[in-house]
Amino acid sequence: MILCVLFTNRTGNVLLERFHGLPAEERLHWRSFLVKLTTENLKTARDDEVFVASHKSVFIVYTVIGDICIFAVGKEVYDELALMEVLNAVTASVKEVCRKDPSERLFLEKYGKVCLCLDEIISQGALEHTDKDRIRRLTRLKPLAE
Amino acid sequence: MDGIKKDDDRDDDSEYSPFYGIEKSAVLQEARCFNDRELDPRRCAQVITKLLYLINQGETFSKKEATEVFFSLTKLFQSKDIGLRRLVYLMIKDKEICPSSDEVIIVTSSLMKDMNSKTDLFRANAIRVLCRITDGGLLGQIERYLKQAVVDKNIVVSSAALVSGIQLLQSNPEIVKRWSNEVQEAMQSKAPLVQFHALALLHQIRQNDRLAVSKLVTSLTRGTVRSPLAQCLLIRYTCQVIEESGPNAQTGDRPFYDYLEGCMRNKNEMVIFEAARAVTELRGVTSKELTPAITVLQLFLSSSKPVLRFAAVRTLNKIAMTHPLAVTSCNIDMESLISDQNRSIATLAITTLLKTGNESSVDRLMKQITNFMSDIADEFKIVVVEAIRSLCLKFPQKYRALMNFLSNTLREEGGFDFKKAIVDSILILIREIPDAKESGLSHLCEFIEDCEFTYLSTQILHLLGNEGPKTADPSKYIRYVYNRVILENATVRASAVSALAKFGAVVEKLRPRILILLRRCLYDNDDEVRDRATLYLNLLGDGMESPREDAQSFLFDITDVPLENLEASLQSYEPSERPFDLAAVPRDLKPQVQVEKKAPTNREKKAAKDASLKAGADGGASNTFEAYEKLLNAIPQFAGFGKLFKSSAVVELTEAETEYAVNVVKHVYPGHVVFQFNCTNTIAEQLLENVNVIMEIVEGEDFTQIATKPIASMPCGVPGQAFVAFEKPDGVCSTGKFSNTLRFIVKEVDPSSGEADDEGYEDEYQLEELEVTAADYILQTPISNFRNAWESLDSESERVDEYSLGARENLQEAVQAVTTILGMQPSEATDVVPSNARSHTCLLAGKFLGGAQVLVRLSLGIDSQKQVAMKLAVRSEDPVVSDFIHEIINA
Repeated sequence: MILCVLFTNRTGNVLLERFHGLPAEERLHWRSFLVKLTTENLKTARDDEVFVASHKSVFIVYTVIGDICIFAVGKEVYDELALMEVLNAVTASVKEVCRKDPSERLFLEKYGKVCLCLDEIISQGALEHTDKDRIRRLTRLKPLAE
Repeated sequence: MDGIKKDDDRDDDSEYSPFYGIEKSAVLQEARCFNDRELDPRRCAQVITKLLYLINQGETFSKKEATEVFFSLTKLFQSKDIGLRRLVYLMIKDKEICPSSDEVIIVTSSLMKDMNSKTDLFRANAIRVLCRITDGGLLGQIERYLKQAVVDKNIVVSSAALVSGIQLLQSNPEIVKRWSNEVQEAMQSKAPLVQFHALALLHQIRQNDRLAVSKLVTSLTRGTVRSPLAQCLLIRYTCQVIEESGPNAQTGDRPFYDYLEGCMRNKNEMVIFEAARAVTELRGVTSKELTPAITVLQLFLSSSKPVLRFAAVRTLNKIAMTHPLAVTSCNIDMESLISDQNRSIATLAITTLLKTGNESSVDRLMKQITNFMSDIADEFKIVVVEAIRSLCLKFPQKYRALMNFLSNTLREEGGFDFKKAIVDSILILIREIPDAKESGLSHLCEFIEDCEFTYLSTQILHLLGNEGPKTADPSKYIRYVYNRVILENATVRASAVSALAKFGAVVEKLRPRILILLRRCLYDNDDEVRDRATLYLNLLGDGMESPREDAQSFLFDITDVPLENLEASLQSYEPSERPFDLAAVPRDLKPQVQVEKKAPTNREKKAAKDASLKAGADGGASNTFEAYEKLLNAIPQFAGFGKLFKSSAVVELTEAETEYAVNVVKHVYPGHVVFQFNCTNTIAEQLLENVNVIMEIVEGEDFTQIATKPIASMPCGVPGQAFVAFEKPDGVCSTGKFSNTLRFIVKEVDPSSGEADDEGYEDEYQLEELEVTAADYILQTPISNFRNAWESLDSESERVDEYSLGARENLQEAVQAVTTILGMQPSEATDVVPSNARSHTCLLAGKFLGGAQVLVRLSLGIDSQKQVAMKLAVRSEDPVVSDFIHEIINA
C-alpha cells in the first residue's frame, strides 16, 4: 500500500498531499514526522538527489526538484524499491507538467494538472501508471498512441 | 488545522501564488458557475482547482456545502470539454465532496453512460469512480461490465478494472471472486502493469486456498512474467509456498530455490534485490544458499543509487544478526558507507559493522563513528552504544579505545535513556574486563561531576564505594565523592556518604580523613544524610582506636533478606526491649498471590508462557551468577556446600507450548551439584501443590542425592523453583546422566470464581533427560591478552596431541563443536573462521574447578575431502587439568 505522497516546499510547508488508508488523525503526525526526519538531509540536497529511510515497517523515499520536495511513503509490497518507481513516475510527471525543475510558484500554477497526474499514477494506494507520456495523455483524456 | 501549512507562512514570493488569499466561502460562491446555462469550461476548471487546493490544505466542508458542490459538479457532465470532464472525475471521487451512497444515485446514470461509451478513457474513469462511490447493490448491476473491462484490449481500461477489483475485494469479496477466469486471462497481457495488478488480484482471490496458490506459483515460475513489479510479487508468493512446504523428499533440495537463484541474474535491479532478500530470509538458509545472495547485495552496496545501497545494507544488517560471518566479506564496502550523505544508510552500515567487524578494524571504525555520532538521534545512538558494548566484550584487548569512546559520548548532550545506556555499558565492561576497571572508574568520576540524573549518580557512587577502595590509589576518588556531598541533592548526598564510609572501612590510612569529612555531614540539612553520617561514624569508631569489628561486613555484605520480607517484618515489629532481629526475617520468597480472583484468561496463559521464557532468558545474562549465588545461599540445606563455582546456562526440559514449562540450571560446587528447576504452570484451570522433581541416575556412580526442596504451591503463570542437590567426590569432575519426572498434586480451579478445590490428586509429568558434562566444570573467563597469559604459564604443563575430527561442512563448524564440548571462552574473536579458510587457529581460555587457569590453542586444517585434523595444545596452572582436557576430547 502506498500510504502517502506529499509535496512540500524547501522550508517544509505542505503544498499537496495524498493519503491512502491512513486515518485522518494520524496524518498530522506523519506530516511532521516526515518533515523532521528529512530536514537535515534536504538542507544540502542537490536537485534529483534521492534519499531513503525506514521507520518500523514503513518505507520512505524522497527527493527534491527545484523548490519542491516530494515524499513517497509505503509499506508491504511498496518497499523502498517499489516506492522508487512511484517517485520516479511522480517526478517525471511534475517536470513534464512544469516543463522544467519547478519553482514553488510554477508548481502552484500547475496545481490542477499535478493533481490529475497523481490520480493516474496512484489509484487508492496502488501504483497504476508509470509512463510519463501515457500519464500526460490520460490527464487530457487523449487516447493512447498505439 | 495544522501548523506547517502554507498559508501560515507567507513570504514575499508567495504574493505570486495563484492561491494567495484564497477563502473557502468565496470559492463556494464561485462554484455556482457550475450551474450556469452556458458553461465556461475554463472558469469551471479554475474553480475545481481551487477546491482541490482547499481540500489538500486540510479544509473541511459541512455536509450541506459538500452536497451542494457535488450536485452542481454533476451538471458538468453536460459539457463536451474533455479537460473539464477529467477534472470532474477526479473531484467526485473525493471523499470530502462525495456524499453518502443514497445520494450518489444522481450521478450513477451519467457514469453508467460513460461506462458504455466508445471512448476508452471515459470507460476507464467511469469504472474507477463507480467502484469508489457505489455500494454492493449497484455493483451487482455493473458486474457484467466490470468483468468485461478486466479483459478489455485497452490496457487503461483493464488496469482500472483490476485496481478497482483489488479495492472491492475488501468490501465485496463474493463479487470479485467470480472474476477469477478473467483475471487469469489478464495475466497474459503484454502490458507490464496490467500483469502486476492481475497477479496481485489473483493472489488475493486465492490466498486462503494453499493448493491454489501453490499451483499459481508453480505455473508462473515456469512461464514468463515480464513486469518487474509482478516478478517481485511472484518472488514473495514463492517464498510463502517454500515456507509452507518442506524440502524435496528425494533430493533434499529446497523447492523453487533454482527459481530464486535465476531471478538473481535478472536484468532488473528490483527483481535481483527481491530474490536476494528472499533467499536471506529462507528458514534455515545454508551458507551455500546464502553466498550468491550476499554477492548480489555486496554489489548493490557500491551502487550509485541510494535506494539500492539502503536496501542492501538494510538486508545485510538483518543477516548480521543470524549469520554474522556471511556478512564479513562486505565489511570494506560498508565502511565506505559510514560517510554516506544519507544518515539512514550510514546508521545501518555502522550497526552492521559493529556486529561483524574484526579486531584490526576496531580503531578505524571508532574514529569514523565519533564524527558520525553528533549527527544522529538518541534512539540511533543507543543502538550504536549497545553494539559497541558487545564489541568490547568480544575484543577485550580493545577496551581502551572503546572505553574512551564511551566516555566521550557520555560528555555529549543526550537524554536519560542514552546516558543510562552508556553508564550501563561501562559498568558491564568494568565487571567483565578487569584491566578496564581503573580507567572505567575514572571516566565515571568525571561524569558524576556534571551529571543531571540522580539515578545514575547514585548508581555510580555505589560502585565507587565498592570498587574504589580496592584500587591502587583509593585516595584519588575521595575528592569526586565528597564533591557530591557539597554540591548535590539529598539522595545523591546520602549515597556519597555511604561511599565515603566504605573507603574509611577498608583503607586504614584514609580513615582519619574520612572521619573528618563524615563529621561535617552531621550538619547536613537532610535527616537521611545526617543519620547515615552518625551511623557510619559510630561504625568506623570515631573517637576510638579502631573501627568496630563488623564494620566491613555491615557495609559490604549485601543483605540476603528479600526486601519485601524485610519490609513486612519491620511493619509487624512492635518497639520493645527486644531489638529487631534481622536473622528472624524469612529468606524464602513468598509466591505472588494473585490479586484478582477471577476466571483465568488467555492473557494469563500468555503471562505464564512469558514468565517461563523470561526465566530462560535471564539465565543468559552475565550478572545472573550473583543472583544465583544469593538465591542458593538463602537455602539452609545448601549452606554447607562452600563457594559456588559455576552456574550453567538454562537447559530446557520441555518442548515449547507444553502444559508445564520446565528448564534447569546446573550449579556446580567443589563437592556438590545443585539442580535448579524453573517450573511454570500454564494451565489456568489448575493449581499445583508440592511440586517435586524426581531425578534418577541413569549414568554416573559418583553422584548421591542428598537434598530436595519442592515448590509448595504453583498457580498458573507464577514461576517457581524446585531444587535437587547431589553430592560427588570433592574437586572431581564427575559426569552423569539423569532422568527427570515432575511430580505434584493437582487441584482443579473453578474458572468462574478462581477458587481451587480442597481435594487434589497426584500426577506426574515426564521431563527430558539431563546430563552433567565436563564443560560444566570449566568456567568461561575472558582474558585480554592471550599470548601473555600463555607465556606466563609453565611450558612444562603443556600437553599436545593430534586428533582427526572426521568430515565437517567447514572449519567454523569444527571450531564450534570443540568450543561447545570444552565450554571455554574464545579469546580475541578467534572463534570466527573466515569463510573458505583451509586452516585456522582458535584460542580458548577458562578456569577449572578448583580455580586453575587453563588455556587451549586449537590448530585446525581441512582438506579437499572436508576431513578436519586438529592439533590441541593445553597449558594450565595444574598439569593434571591439561591431561583432563585431552581426556574430554578423547571421550
